[in-house]
Amino acid sequence: MRVVNMVPDMEYAVQQSQQTLSAALQQVSTGLRVNKPSDDPGASASMVISLASSANVDQYTSNVSAMQAQMQTADSALNSVITSLNTAVTVATAGSTGTSSAANDQALAAQAQGLLSNVIAQANTSYQGIYSFAGSASSSPPFVAASTTYTSQNGTAAAPLSTTTPLTAGSVTTIHDASTSEAFTFTAAAGDTIGDLASAISGAVTAGTLSLGTTATINAKGELAISTNSGTHGIVASSNDPVLGLVRPLWGTDVANAYAYVGNSTVNNVQIGDSATVATNVPGDQIFTAGANVIASLTGLITALQSGNSAIVTSSGAAVSAALTYVTQQRVPLDNTISQLNDQDSFLNQETLTLTTQQNALVGVNLATAATSLSQAELDNTAVLAAAAKVLPQTLLNYLSPG
Amino acid sequence: MSSITSILSSATQSLLAETGALQVTSNNIANANTPGYSRQIPVFQEAAPTNDGNFSIGNGVVLEGYQSVRDELVTSQIQQETQSQSSANAQLNTLQQIQPTFTTSTQDIGTEISALFTSLSGLSTNATSSAERQSVLAAGNNLASAFNAASNVLTAQQTALNSPVTQDVSQINQLTQQIAALNPQIAELTATGQDGGSLQDQQNQLVLKLSTLTNVSTTQTAQGETLTTGNGTPLVVGSQSYALQTATGSDGMQHVLDQNGADITTAISSGDLGGMIQMRDTTIPGLLNQLDTLANQFGTAFNAAQAKGFDQNGVAGGNFFTLPATVAGSAGAISMAITSPTKIAASSDGTAGSNGNVANFSAVQTNVLAGGNTPGEAYANLVYQVGSLTSNANAESSATTASLLQLNDQLSSVSGVSVDQEAANLITFQTAYQAAARVISTMQAMFSVTMTMGTAAAE
Repeated sequence: MRVVNMVPDMEYAVQQSQQTLSAALQQVSTGLRVNKPSDDPGASASMVISLASSANVDQYTSNVSAMQAQMQTADSALNSVITSLNTAVTVATAGSTGTSSAANDQALAAQAQGLLSNVIAQANTSYQGIYSFAGSASSSPPFVAASTTYTSQNGTAAAPLSTTTPLTAGSVTTIHDASTSEAFTFTAAAGDTIGDLASAISGAVTAGTLSLGTTATINAKGELAISTNSGTHGIVASSNDPVLGLVRPLWGTDVANAYAYVGNSTVNNVQIGDSATVATNVPGDQIFTAGANVIASLTGLITALQSGNSAIVTSSGAAVSAALTYVTQQRVPLDNTISQLNDQDSFLNQETLTLTTQQNALVGVNLATAATSLSQAELDNTAVLAAAAKVLPQTLLNYLSPG
Repeated sequence: MSSITSILSSATQSLLAETGALQVTSNNIANANTPGYSRQIPVFQEAAPTNDGNFSIGNGVVLEGYQSVRDELVTSQIQQETQSQSSANAQLNTLQQIQPTFTTSTQDIGTEISALFTSLSGLSTNATSSAERQSVLAAGNNLASAFNAASNVLTAQQTALNSPVTQDVSQINQLTQQIAALNPQIAELTATGQDGGSLQDQQNQLVLKLSTLTNVSTTQTAQGETLTTGNGTPLVVGSQSYALQTATGSDGMQHVLDQNGADITTAISSGDLGGMIQMRDTTIPGLLNQLDTLANQFGTAFNAAQAKGFDQNGVAGGNFFTLPATVAGSAGAISMAITSPTKIAASSDGTAGSNGNVANFSAVQTNVLAGGNTPGEAYANLVYQVGSLTSNANAESSATTASLLQLNDQLSSVSGVSVDQEAANLITFQTAYQAAARVISTMQAMFSVTMTMGTAAAE
């Protein structure tokens, strides 16, 4: 083949060499083999999926961390409740001997009352604004001191509410009964009146949701009064109906040592893995008022000690022991969750490592290989330039004598 | 029998022939770096011999003319390859501007989809947290913005290709006019048996330039080169050129029309114009359609999840994203339907603290959309496609560049000027010239001797 001009070939060779050098330099400087989709479309697409997995794993790790703190707070609270119940058993034993003086019994009753207060405080434990034992109604304390009467903020003697006063459609009025441990909820439909609310309450009494004697009436001040006859347990009522205004406990009607659960039974779940979730809470009604009722057993013990009747104290002590056993059992799933969270934390750390390795394999560069490639590219480029410098100036004219 | 005068005549002819050859060599050297120049060679012809009795004797040399050395096949291949290269380059230029939008960054669609799901997962740890809700709202906004930005980039690139279409058509018209003007001149030369020479070189160069713009088919006729584009639309026939036109179509894009006003846009398959039309009318709309489909299906699935829950006030969830009525334009128009964090329907039972509906949102990440892929997979496919298109255009550009280099080398080996060869020719012709001059000088000496025969000086 007749070669007449090597400049285009040299230019091409230099250009190719510089492109290779530039690519090698970029790989070494970024540590990446794939800097844009066209570098490796398949790897780039896989990277999208892998990065999404990484983001999920990071979030799962964050969730685990948040849940660990939340669960440990709840576990500490239950631990404190168990300690209180153990102490209560001891108090019951001391009060059941039959030889204790009346003053001593009152002192023991006062101690038991302190224990109940502590249990209630633990049952109302919160972590970063979330009440651990409130179910999904977690933005307010789940155990509220009960009263026998709640009255509406609205309504006066001059402008009384009446059974024909229409309620706001969609408004919700709730009564938590400390005796039945159940909740009555009335959602006003369009056209519903206070009379309809009263009828619904009456129906709930019949159904056993609310204690006997629970009523909704208009009192002498023209307010709506929600009351119960249960002087030992009481109720907690609330409403968001602007027609009624705030529904508040009537002063002087509080029931000593009586608490109603105003949370709910919802269990929230949080994802801590692609196919792993954990329950983030144990509803308070399940731990403290269901089964061997913790609060009721302590209330019974207080009443028994106050009465000075050793036989009743003995039976109350047995109830407290049963409550202790029950709470200890309820704590097991919580501890299992904490254990699961710890295990998942380790798994996620490993998963992060696996994904990072996968991502490095997809788009990363082996630095030793990249450095070698760079060195080779530099050498090639130098060689091409040197060849160009040698070859291009050579023509026959260089060798012809001027003469 | 030869005479001194016939020898002188022969030597003089030789001087003239070698002078002509030296001129051809000089012209070759002068045009050694002229693009498109085909080297010329002198065509020597033995002068007709003189019959003298029983033998004939040569009468020297005649310079018949000169001839350009060409390879029409390789020239045609170069034109074809140039069309492919220009098309690939045009596509590559546009794709390189689109590609960054689909490159993993802190703001690309894939990252924002992930961020939305992780923010929802974070919300599930504390459904009443304003910060977590605000985070979900911000992630939703960021995702909508990422869709909007990607759509805008594609649409802007598509629209930006209209102006070059008009410019290319204008250049094509200028070139075809110049090519048509050369046809009669070349035809006149070839009709008299002469070489097209520099005119043919000029025309080849113009056709090569035309090949950078559009697909061109060349046919040689007695009237010169006939050029067509598209599916046979004439550009040049003899001395006549046919101008293309542009007009705005119903799609708002610039369309290419032939001299009769017929739309030939889809028939322009290569060259810069073909590459741009391919990008504008096929590639970008394809990508936009996938992007719109993803935005629409994702937004619809997310809205369905939102509708299954309750917001922080216990109200049934309304739309999370606002979408247009049609799939087309969804990526460009998607926006947040809610502006308050409390409107995120995380609750499954109406209580503020419930996170039960987050599972329905999370399911959008793992459930397949109508197209058969999860949102992440659908986006990954889009990334793959953009990467693949860019990579292929790059490979095509590199391959055609390498191929053109080889073809040009091939053509150059036939038509190119070798300075070394011309230097050697220079010596050859110079030597021949010197020898002929020496013959004349010798003849002059012989004449002198002859003229002075019998004179004192001769004695």
